[in-house]
Amino acid sequence: MIVGRRRSIGKLVVTPFLIALLLISVFALVFVRSQIVKLEYRLGELEKKKTLCLRERKVLFAEKTSQLSFARLEASSQSQDGFVLPDRLKVVQIGKHTRSMPSHASFKEKQLAEP
Amino acid sequence: MRTGRAVILHTAVVFGFLIVAYRLTDLMLFDHERLARRAKQQHTAVEDVQVRRGIIFDRMGRELALNLDLESLYCDPKTFAPSWETIRMLAPLVDREPQKMLSRIPDEGRFVWIKRKLPPETADKVRALNIEGLGFVTEAKRFYPKGDLASHVIGFVGIDNQPLEGIELQYDKYLGAKGGKVFRERDASGRTLSSGISAEAKGNNIVLTIDEVLQRIVEKELDRALEQWRAAAATAVMMDPYSGGILALANRPAYDPNAGGSAPGFEKRNRAITDCYEPGSVFKIVIGVGSLEEKLVTPNSLFDVSRGGIEVGGKVIRDVHKYGVITFKEVIQKSSNVGSIMAGMRLGKENIYRYAKLLGIGEKTGIDLPGEVSGWIPKPEHWSGTSLGAIPIGQEVAVTPLQIVRAYAAIANGGYLVRPHIVSEVLSPDRKTLASFRDGERRAVLSAKTAETFKEILKSVTEDGGTARSASVDGNLVAGKTGTAQMIDPRTKRYSKDKYVSSFVGFVPADNPRIAMIVVVYEPKGQIYGGVVAAPVFREIARQALSYLNVPREDVPGKQALLAWR
Repeated sequence: MIVGRRRSIGKLVVTPFLIALLLISVFALVFVRSQIVKLEYRLGELEKKKTLCLRERKVLFAEKTSQLSFARLEASSQSQDGFVLPDRLKVVQIGKHTRSMPSHASFKEKQLAEP
Repeated sequence: MRTGRAVILHTAVVFGFLIVAYRLTDLMLFDHERLARRAKQQHTAVEDVQVRRGIIFDRMGRELALNLDLESLYCDPKTFAPSWETIRMLAPLVDREPQKMLSRIPDEGRFVWIKRKLPPETADKVRALNIEGLGFVTEAKRFYPKGDLASHVIGFVGIDNQPLEGIELQYDKYLGAKGGKVFRERDASGRTLSSGISAEAKGNNIVLTIDEVLQRIVEKELDRALEQWRAAAATAVMMDPYSGGILALANRPAYDPNAGGSAPGFEKRNRAITDCYEPGSVFKIVIGVGSLEEKLVTPNSLFDVSRGGIEVGGKVIRDVHKYGVITFKEVIQKSSNVGSIMAGMRLGKENIYRYAKLLGIGEKTGIDLPGEVSGWIPKPEHWSGTSLGAIPIGQEVAVTPLQIVRAYAAIANGGYLVRPHIVSEVLSPDRKTLASFRDGERRAVLSAKTAETFKEILKSVTEDGGTARSASVDGNLVAGKTGTAQMIDPRTKRYSKDKYVSSFVGFVPADNPRIAMIVVVYEPKGQIYGGVVAAPVFREIARQALSYLNVPREDVPGKQALLAWR
């Protein structure tokens, strides 16, 4: 008698619970799937943006490389900033003495001597 | 009654379900494949994998060739029906005549190119017109950011990025990549879902032995020489004499590889490896090293060239000046034709041919650039009566500038013939080394003693009394040789009286060479001698190059020009 009542209570509780669980699971699956699709759409949009940004980056990089070409640097800096290529004949001789004193720089090695 | 209605209702419901079940069975079992295919077509967008060629770097990692993503404009003739006003607005943007543009659009078909690889700002302007039936496809475009710098080395590609010249052609198997298709999911409105797959295939990168700064120095000085001597063309090759790595290779006239397809053929010729010329006196290296190696002469052996001419096969060959009795060293220093022919006669035609071949004359150097020619030297059995008077002074033979600089590099490096090369490394897209060619191939062709002796002789060429005083560089000794040769007139097939090739080839610093270089000026006007036309160009290039390479001067005390100590 007691066992039968327990069974009927179990049926009353467990069956709706299982049905609810089943429904929740189904809806959870659908929800997760829809979220994935939504995310894929978002990623798709972001990929498009990324492609556009990369395209822009490539253009800018090419422009930078072009601007940094030695010929261009030489032409612009020579005319505007007095830039000259290193010339071994104009190398400055630099020396520093053992005791504390500022370094001397000169075009003539003789002047490196202590004054 | 109620039972009758219920039966009808049940029957209708069952029948309805049967119809639905039949349709579902039809859709899912019998017509499944066709419908699945159709659904896949509707849900799938097919995209081409964008192929990006590898980047070309100079030896310091500066980019010489890159890729841009540009948009190409196409038209769907079925939906393209613009007004005349729209056409007139579109045509100038794509650089076409309105009538011509319309005539190129067929009545049938769904796709025709209007203009490929538009600049971004032009593409934006076209897009702003919002013309129905026009669309854009993204394509990779090769871009050469340094313009015409090293154009003959780098080469260029066609509209479909197919390699056409230079490194682009020679190393296409590394630079190129395989394309393909990528399938992406899309919805009914055409929006694509992310697949997480990259639709880009990258080729491997190439690192050259060329140095942008040295290349620029060489090109700048060639331009000056071309202008100064109103010459038809000029070529210079700068090489590391030990490894064979080409540091700079320039030809004038040059072209911009960004518009390589429309450049005229003569601008695209890589004269350093594809054009043969009679070398003139620079060929005396063959007589010099041959005679020394065979111990037929020493630098102090005497040659009586006081007559100023010598007859060979009924033809008299003369010196520019009369010299009297001179040593073998002076024969080379003063570039005496008579002395060289006398030495050549002692050496004999078999040996001249053998040493020419040993020094790489008449054979391809093996440089990794397309279109190299082998040059030409006749076999001894084919020599004419005058050949023994012509070949020792660099006539009746054809060489490329690269062959000559390689031969002189063998003197610079102690007797090894190197294989010139232009690529030092192949890198994967993530910059891992796939192949390295830094250690060049070389083979011993001369004894170190002969190389050293001939180097001493070549040093005297740029000293007082030599033919190339103007090639000497402040701070370091230069070893080299001038060359002046008549060109063949293509009309008369005889030596031209006013067309010459002036050249200077040498290496510096002479005792510890960092660069070997040849400068060739074709058809200079006003002056013809290599010592006047080409040697100063060599000096200017060498002066700047040595400063750039931080090569210490030899005329200051201490080992370093820049002295710094604590």
